[in-house]
Amino acid sequence: MSDRITVEELSELMKKAAGITVSPQELADRPDTGFEELGIDSLGLLGIVGELENRHGLPMPPDAERCKTPRKFLDLVNSTLLAGA
Amino acid sequence: MSAPRQRRAAVTGIGVVAPNGTSTETFWKATQEGVSVLDRVTREGCEHLPLKVAGEVRSFDPAAAVEERLLVQTDRFTHFAMAAADAALEDARLGRSDTEGAPYEAGVVTAAGSGGGEFGQRELQKLWGQGRRYVGPWQSIAWFYAASTGQISIRRGFKGPCSVVAADEAGGVDALAHAARAVRRGTDVIVAGATEAPLAPYSMVCQLGYPELSAVTDPGRAYRPFTEGACGFVPAEGGAMLVVEEAGAARERGVPVRATVAGHAATFTGASRWELSRQGLAEAIRGALAEAGCAPEEVDVVFADALGVPEADRAEAQAIADALGAHGRRVPVTAPKTGTGRAYCAAPVLDTAAAVLAMEHGLIPPTPNVADICHDLDLVTGGARAARVRTALVLSRGLMGSNSALVLRHGGVDE
Repeated sequence: MSDRITVEELSELMKKAAGITVSPQELADRPDTGFEELGIDSLGLLGIVGELENRHGLPMPPDAERCKTPRKFLDLVNSTLLAGA
Repeated sequence: MSAPRQRRAAVTGIGVVAPNGTSTETFWKATQEGVSVLDRVTREGCEHLPLKVAGEVRSFDPAAAVEERLLVQTDRFTHFAMAAADAALEDARLGRSDTEGAPYEAGVVTAAGSGGGEFGQRELQKLWGQGRRYVGPWQSIAWFYAASTGQISIRRGFKGPCSVVAADEAGGVDALAHAARAVRRGTDVIVAGATEAPLAPYSMVCQLGYPELSAVTDPGRAYRPFTEGACGFVPAEGGAMLVVEEAGAARERGVPVRATVAGHAATFTGASRWELSRQGLAEAIRGALAEAGCAPEEVDVVFADALGVPEADRAEAQAIADALGAHGRRVPVTAPKTGTGRAYCAAPVLDTAAAVLAMEHGLIPPTPNVADICHDLDLVTGGARAARVRTALVLSRGLMGSNSALVLRHGGVDE
C-alpha cells in the first residue's frame, strides 16, 4: 500500500465509512469544499480516520478528525504518514 | 368566552413495511385476503438455528428507500422505520415544507424491542475478531432502541417532542398513546410507531430461549392461536409508522381524519405469567374504554394479541370476556398477525394500521392459518367479514409481562 493517501483512497473511504459518493476528480478539483458541505459529519470523519489507522498501522493525530476540508485532511494525514515512514 | 375546544389525536397517515406488503395498499390487500406469508427462514447465517419459520420482509430495497449516507450508519430496523415514516408523512400529505416552518411542532415516538441486532453483530464480530480499533463509530448509535427516533427526527428536521418507548412488545401500543398525549398537550404532529428486524443470527439466538417461540417447522401450522394446535408464536420483522396529529388541524389542512386515538391503558403482570395476564389485560381494556368514554357494547372489533400459547390464549379470551361482559362473546375478534408473524413491538402497530383500514373499508380481516377455535370467542377466520366498524380495540402483551389496550374511533365519529 502506498504511504501517501490519494484522492482515490479518500474517495473510497468516504463511500465506505460515511456512505458519501464524491469522485476522486471532484476531490482533486475542489479540495477546499468542506466535509460538512459534502455530507460528512464528525462521526463520518472519525470512521474514515479509524479506517486509515487500521490500514496503515499508524495512529493519526487527534486533529485529523477535526479537519474541515479534504485538502487540510490530506495534508495532515500525509505529513503524518511521511513522518512515520 | 367559550372553553377552548378539546384537542383530539387523529391518525392521518399510515406507512407500512411488513412481511405481507411494503406499502399500505399491498399490506391491506394481503391482510384482508387472509394471505399467509409465513415461510422458512432464509436469512444468511440463520439456516442452522432451531427457529425455522418466520415472517421475513423480502420485497424491501433499503437503497431505494434511504440515502446511502444513512444506510451505512443504521440497522435494518431503522431502514424500515425511515421508509415507513416517509410513507406515513406522504400519506398524510405532510411534506418538508409543511413542517420546516415550525420544527418544534413536529416530533417522533418509536418503540423497539430488538434494536439493531444485525448491525451490532457485525461490529461486535470486528471487536472480537480484529480488535477494538476496527469497530466503526456508528455502532455508538445504530444498534440502540433510540436509533430510529433519532434518525427520523434528524432526517425530517423535527425538533418537537421525541422519545423512545422501551416497554416490551406492548410498547408499540404505548408509543401510539404517548404520541396521542403529546398531540393533546399541544404538539401539532407526531410520527409514531415501531419497526423491528430481529431475524439476523445474533437477534435470533437471543430469542431461542423464549419458551413461547414456536418450534414447528411447517409454516401453515407454526402459529395457530386460540386452537388446540397452538404451539407458540412465529417472529417477524417489519412494522408501521403512523402520523398522529390534532384532528382540527388536520381538517384545516383539508386532510381526512382517518381515526382518532381515543383511549389507552397499560398494566404489568410479570414475564411469562400468562394466567395473570388475564387480569392485567382486562384492567388495560377497562382503562382504555374509560379514557375513551366507550361502553363495552360499542366495540365493533378486537385485534387480539393472540400469542399462540394455550395458557396465554385462554387468559386473553377470559380478559376480553371479563372486560366486555356478554359483548365479549359476540364481538368479532381477529388476529391478522397469524399470517405475518409477530414483529414484537411492531405487531400491535401493524394491528392498529389494520384496524384503521378495517374501519375505512368496513371489512374485518381474517386470522390466517387458524380454524376450529377452542375458546369462547367469535374469531374471524377464513375470509374477511363485512361489518360497520366505528370503534376498534387493539390488544398487545409482551413476553416480559406488559399488557396494553388501545381504543380507536372511526374518523367520522366526531362532534
